[in-house]
Amino acid sequence: MHAFFKLGAMDMSHWLALSALLFSIGLYGLLTRRNAVGILIALELMLNSSALNFVMFDRMLHPATVDGQVMAIFIIATAAAELVVAIAIFVALFKYRKTADVTRMNSLKL
Amino acid sequence: MLTEIGLSIIFYLLAAIAVIAAVGAVVSRHILQAAVHLVVVLAMSAGLYLLLGAEFLAGVQILVYVGGIVVLLAFAIMLTASAELLEDRPSQGRKLVGIAVAGLFFAITLLTFSTRALPPATPPPRAVDDTVALGRMLLNRGPTGYVLPFEIISLLLLTVVIGAIVVARKTPAETPADAKGGKPDARLL
Repeated sequence: MHAFFKLGAMDMSHWLALSALLFSIGLYGLLTRRNAVGILIALELMLNSSALNFVMFDRMLHPATVDGQVMAIFIIATAAAELVVAIAIFVALFKYRKTADVTRMNSLKL
Repeated sequence: MLTEIGLSIIFYLLAAIAVIAAVGAVVSRHILQAAVHLVVVLAMSAGLYLLLGAEFLAGVQILVYVGGIVVLLAFAIMLTASAELLEDRPSQGRKLVGIAVAGLFFAITLLTFSTRALPPATPPPRAVDDTVALGRMLLNRGPTGYVLPFEIISLLLLTVVIGAIVVARKTPAETPADAKGGKPDARLL
């Protein structure tokens, strides 16, 4: 338990705990939501927490380079892309099935 | 020393607000409210990026996430008529599974990095200008550059734009006749 409870924003374990907590909350939302958009919101939480980890590691371990920040930018871009596709699919699906409830999206046919 | 305490206070403040808002985002029964909670989490993350010295990333976070993604989410909520619907309370079993999985994940992660020695954090001094370094790295064709992923992500975004238009546009059969009960055109699905 090396210095786990040391006070300080410069302590990596606090950042790791924060992003793990945010990721877990997102995971909970992912498993309990029924609304498709609610699931996407939970997903964004998880992606955001992982990007936070990349930036934190970049800052704490390799402050001379910015590789972690590049990764975070790619995560943000990929998250945006994934979200657009998912929303397009859900909106199209809503036109035909009149529901955004994922537990009722159980047929590949119309 | 004083600055370290100040930074810590800011860190804990941002972290606490982010966690509370995140809980709100996943349990709120109004989806629109959940989206607003998400905005708070993302804004707090931008603050944390600032704390880490990633100014450019904080700007990108606000612009892309808060300005773009959340607006998109709000559109999706309106378009799927989720705004006026109240989300069902998750059933007892579903809730239990969610708490068990999320709690287990958190416990295991916490255990993993609290039982092993993390590499020591290097002291903060950083002379390079982050934003300049970031731009150089993204467009660097050398072995440490990211120009190929950069191009791939550009292509991905283009594909996404086209794909979104194709999937979500009005289908040809969506005419008044369709509104009267005609069978919708399935060609595009």
